[in-house]
Amino acid sequence: MDKTQHTYIPTLVDEMSSGAIGRRDFLRKATLLGLSAAAAYSMAGVAMPGVGVQAEDMPKGGNLRIGMRCMEIKDPHLADFAEKSNVIRQVCEYLTFTDRNNITHPYLLEKWEASDDLKTWTLHIRKDVKWRKGGRPLTADDVVWNLKRVSDPNVGSSVLGLFTGYLVQEYETGEKDEKGNTKKSSKLWADNAIEKVDDYTVRLNCFAPQIAVPEHLYHYPMFILDPADNGAFGPDANGTGPFEMTEYTVGKGAKYKARTDYWGTGPYLDTFEYVDLGDNPGAGIAAMASKQVDGLSEADAVQINSMKNFPHVAVYQVETTQTVVARMHPDTEQFKDKRVRQAMRYAIDRDKVIQTALLGAGAPAEDHHVAPSHPEYAALPKYPRDIEKAKKLLADAGYPDGFEFDMVTRPDPIWELNTAQVLAQQFADIGVKINIKALPSAQYWEVWTTAPFSLTAWGHRPLAIMTLSLAYRSNAAWNESNYSNPDFDKLLTEAEGILDPNERSKVMAKIEAIMQEDGPIVQPFWRVFSTVMDKKVKGFELHPSQYIFAHQYAISA
Amino acid sequence: MANFLLRRLAMMILTMLCASFLVFAICEFTPGSVARKSLGPFATQQQVDLLTEKLKANDPLLVRYGRWLGVLVGAIPDPLQDPATGLNFKDPRGAQYFGNFGYSTLNKLPVNDVIWDRLGNTAILAGLAFLLIVPLSIIFGVLSGLKEGGVLDRTLSVICITFTSIPEFASGVFLVTLFVILWPILPGTSPLNSDGGWAVPYQFVLPVAVLVIYDFGYVARMIRVSMIGVMERPYIRTAILKGMSTRRMVLSHALRNAMIAPFTVLLLQINFLISGVVVTELVFAYPGFGRLILEASLFGDMATLEAATLITVAVAVVTQLLGDLGYMLLDPRIRVR
Repeated sequence: MDKTQHTYIPTLVDEMSSGAIGRRDFLRKATLLGLSAAAAYSMAGVAMPGVGVQAEDMPKGGNLRIGMRCMEIKDPHLADFAEKSNVIRQVCEYLTFTDRNNITHPYLLEKWEASDDLKTWTLHIRKDVKWRKGGRPLTADDVVWNLKRVSDPNVGSSVLGLFTGYLVQEYETGEKDEKGNTKKSSKLWADNAIEKVDDYTVRLNCFAPQIAVPEHLYHYPMFILDPADNGAFGPDANGTGPFEMTEYTVGKGAKYKARTDYWGTGPYLDTFEYVDLGDNPGAGIAAMASKQVDGLSEADAVQINSMKNFPHVAVYQVETTQTVVARMHPDTEQFKDKRVRQAMRYAIDRDKVIQTALLGAGAPAEDHHVAPSHPEYAALPKYPRDIEKAKKLLADAGYPDGFEFDMVTRPDPIWELNTAQVLAQQFADIGVKINIKALPSAQYWEVWTTAPFSLTAWGHRPLAIMTLSLAYRSNAAWNESNYSNPDFDKLLTEAEGILDPNERSKVMAKIEAIMQEDGPIVQPFWRVFSTVMDKKVKGFELHPSQYIFAHQYAISA
Repeated sequence: MANFLLRRLAMMILTMLCASFLVFAICEFTPGSVARKSLGPFATQQQVDLLTEKLKANDPLLVRYGRWLGVLVGAIPDPLQDPATGLNFKDPRGAQYFGNFGYSTLNKLPVNDVIWDRLGNTAILAGLAFLLIVPLSIIFGVLSGLKEGGVLDRTLSVICITFTSIPEFASGVFLVTLFVILWPILPGTSPLNSDGGWAVPYQFVLPVAVLVIYDFGYVARMIRVSMIGVMERPYIRTAILKGMSTRRMVLSHALRNAMIAPFTVLLLQINFLISGVVVTELVFAYPGFGRLILEASLFGDMATLEAATLITVAVAVVTQLLGDLGYMLLDPRIRVR
C-alpha cells in the first residue's frame, strides 16, 4: 500500500468488510482522506460512475443553450447564488469536486493528504493545468493567493464562514459599535496557516481537526482565480476552465467559446450559452416548446408537468438536501417557551405539505436539518402530526387559545409561498393564526435574519455539519433563528472532529434530538430537484447543487 | 409660439421634479437600505453599517433628494462610485457629469448603461404596435360610427369589446398555446437574439399581437363615439343630401373633425405602450423597459426607478405637447395667443 495513505483507511476498509459502515460511507470517507476515487471505488468493489460513456463516444461541436437567470457578477469569490456560480464555473474551476453521489474527488488538485490528527492537509496541485491567457501553469502561489483572499474579512466571501473554526479565528477589534457591543473581526489563526511548500504543493495548518476540508474547497464561491484579475470578472477574465466567456449581459445572457487547450476531458461543444428568460415560469415552457433553449437550469413541478408531454424533452430529477425551514426566534415572547416550538412541529402533516406545495416532489424531513442522505444522519423515531399533543403543549406554555403571529416569506419561487400557505393552514388547526407577509425576494433577503418568524430556503450541502455550523451555532453569521444552545455548540464541535462515521452518528443522534426537543425550526420536507433538457443533450447529469458543467455535455445532431 | 413652448418646458421640468420627489419619498417606506442592497443579502450587519455611514444614507430626506439632484445635473460626484466605499462601482463616463442617473443597486451598473437599451427595445415593440393600432382603430371606429346600431357597428363593437376585455396575460398564454405548442410556427419567447433558431422579426409577432389585441378595440370605441357625433352634424347631412359619395364624405369632411377628440386618446396610448407593457414583456421574456421598472421597484432600486420615472413623465409631457400642437392643426379655431 501507498505510504502516503492516511492511517485511518485500513480501519475504514475493515469497517466496510464487517458491514459496520456502508459502501457509500466508505467511499466518502476514503476519498475525503485523500484516497483516489478510482482506488476507493475499486476497494469498495463497485463501478465508478461516469465511466460508462467514453469521451470518444461523445458527439463533437455545436452550440448548447440553457435558460437561466443571469445576475450581476462582480467578484467570483462573492458569488451568492448557484446561478451566479454557474456563469463563472465554465471559466474558473475548483480545487475539488463533489459529485452527485456526494463523493468528493480531486479537480485542480491531483490528490490531497490529511495528517492522522486531521489538522494538516497537504494539497498537491495538478501540473498540467494552464491558464487561458499566457499559457502559464497553475502554481501553488495562485492557490495560496486565492485561499488567503477568501479568508480576508474585507473581501466578504462566504467561504470565510466555513474556514472559521479551523483556519480562521474571530477576534475582538477593541472598537465599540453604537450599541456599545465590541466589534468583532476575523483573521487567519497563524501566519503559516496557508503555506506554500513548493511550486505545486500547498499545506493547510489548522488549529483544530476538520474532516470536511475537501468539501469546503468545493463551496460554490471557492473558485481559483488568476491573481492578476484581482477578483474582477467579465468576458475578459482569465481562468483554467474549459471555456472562454465572450459576452455577458445582466438580464439577457452569457456566451462562451470552447478552449482548445483545456487540460481535462472535453469540452465537446464549440459554443455554450445561457439565456435569461426572466421570472415568468411560462417563458421557460414557451422557450422549450419553440426550441429556443435546449434546457433549463431548474424547472419546478408545475413546469415539469406541462413539459413532460413534449416529445423532445427529457426530465431529470435528483434528491437533494435542499429544504425550507419555518424558523422561530426563541428570543421573542411567543416562541421563547420550547413547548410552543414543539407544538408548531407537532402541528404539521408533512405528507400533505409535500403533496400540496411540491406536487409530491419531496421527502418528509424531521426538523433537525440533517438529511437521510447526509453521511452523519442518525435515524430517530418519526415525528408524527399530533394535534392533541400540540394543543396541550401550547396550553402548558400559557397559550390555551393559541396566538396570532406574522410569518415573513417570499412569493418567488412559487413553491415557497405555497409551502407557507399550507403550513399556515395547519398551524391554524392548533389555534395559531399565522399571517403571511410575502416580500419580494430582494426585500426578503434584507430581513431574513431579523424577522421573528420566517420561512427560508436552504441550499444543498454534502455534509450536515456544514449546514448546522452555518445556521444554528451561536452567533454564526447565517444564524437566522438567533438560536443559541451551548450543549448544541459543544456537540457540533465534537462531531466536526470525529472521523469514524459510526461514532459521529452517535453524536449526531444527540444533536438531532436537541433540535427536535429544543430547536428553532419546523422543517417540512427535503426537496427533489428537477429540470428538463432536450433529448439531444448528451452527458447531462443533474447535480443536487444545481451546478452546470458545460464541458461534460454534448449535442447530437 | 416660442413663449408657449417655453412655458410648456418650464411646466415639464416642474412636473418631473414633483414626480421624482414623490418617488423618492415613497421609496422611504420600502424596507431595506441602499447599503444593504449594494452589498447583497449575505453581507454582515457590520459591513452594512459601515457603508451606510460612508454614503450618509441616514441624512434627512430633503438633503438626500438634493444630493440626488446634484448628481443628476453633474454638480457633485455620485457617492456610490466613491472608491472609499470599496464597492468597486465604476462608470466609464466618470462620477460627475450632466445626466448622471446614478448607480443601479440591482444591476450593479450605471443606470445609463442599463436603461437606454431597454427603453430602445420597448420603443421598437411599442412603435410596431402603435403602427398597427392607429390604422386598425381608425378603420374599426369609423366604420362602426358611420351607421350607429347597424349590423356592421354591432359586429365590430362585439369584436372590439371582446378583445379589449381579454387581459394581456390571458391572450399571451392563449397565443402561445396556439402558435407555439399546437401549431409551432412562431417562437414562444422574445429574448431578441437570433441564436435560438428564430430570426428576430419572428420574435416580435406574438408580443406585438398581444398589445394590438388589447389596445386597438379601446381606441376604436373612442373614435366610434366621436364619429357618431360628427355624423349627426348638419354639414354632414347636407353633404349626404347633396349626393356626395360616402367615401368622399368620410375622407374629406367627417374624418378630420371626428379625429379631434380621439387624437388625445391615441397619443395617450404611447404612454401606455412605453410604461404599461410590463405583462407582455414578462410573458415573452422580452428585455424591455417595463420589466426593468418592475424589477427595479420590487428590488427598491432607487436610482433606476427615479430615472424611469423621469423618462415616463417626459414621454407623457411630450406626447401631451404633441397633442396640443396636433389640435391646432386639426381644429383651426384653436390658436396660440
